[in-house]
Amino acid sequence: MASPEGPGAVTSSVNEPLDLVRLSLNEVVFVKLRGDRELKGRLHAYDSHCNLVLGEVEETIYMVDEEEEGGNGEVRTMKKQSEMLFVRGDSVVLISPQA
Amino acid sequence: MSAPAPNGASAGAPQSANDARDPSGFLSEIIGAPVTVKLNSGVVYKGELQSVDGYMNIALEGTREFVDGKMRRSYGDAFVRGNNVTYISADS
Amino acid sequence: MLFFSFFKTLVNHEVTVELKNDISVRGTLKSVDQYLNIKLDDISVVEEMKYPHLSSVKNVFIRGSVVRYVHLPANAVDTPLLEDATRREASQAASKAKQSSS
Repeated sequence: MASPEGPGAVTSSVNEPLDLVRLSLNEVVFVKLRGDRELKGRLHAYDSHCNLVLGEVEETIYMVDEEEEGGNGEVRTMKKQSEMLFVRGDSVVLISPQA
Repeated sequence: MSAPAPNGASAGAPQSANDARDPSGFLSEIIGAPVTVKLNSGVVYKGELQSVDGYMNIALEGTREFVDGKMRRSYGDAFVRGNNVTYISADS
Repeated sequence: MLFFSFFKTLVNHEVTVELKNDISVRGTLKSVDQYLNIKLDDISVVEEMKYPHLSSVKNVFIRGSVVRYVHLPANAVDTPLLEDATRREASQAASKAKQSSS
């Protein structure tokens, strides 16, 4: 079962969505998660579930202060750092290479 | 959801070129086109569709993110995990 | 399999597991399975005042699906090795997909 592209053509094409993630290995990525959370960090591992390992991570959490009933709930942000972080894939919404 | 069906299958009646036979046929036809992707959260992404897989994972190029109709952010490239997707629509 | 193998290399290291309900549990990683269920020993709960009901618990089994993050000791992770393993796994997954669709 030789692949149509022949040997050696395997690794550097963008044929499926996860190739975008593969090309970001050892690069800084932006990750949007469920629950109004975002991460920025260096991508060291991923799999098909979008489980991730990120290094030198900054997490941003967006929290709405809902004390005022007028609805102008201000958005507060909380930042956290982590030197090495495993992220479970089912929380992932979007992954973008950081330009 | 299984992997995308092979596209060569002989569907019934002849159809116009733009009228895809099935959903994955539709998706492969609009690769390279500008699309709107809406997520279950209500967030909308607009960009050029690079690729899609059987899980509806999506790669977009030149993506803009809209929350409540307002542009919030833009990304060079973006991977969207399929389970969050409500629909993919080809901008005409 | 990649992350199952990865977590096995971290057994006996101190980790902090952050759950989707915002509780964080610190402890020694004792075992992991293919679902990424996790067993921790000698645990302590971060923000103990907020979650007093766990203060007498010594060890936990955490169902993988409720995990949001696992904070890891950076010095226990060989990042180049991990990136190579990721590329290997990705190309395996790609050839598997090719088989089933041709």
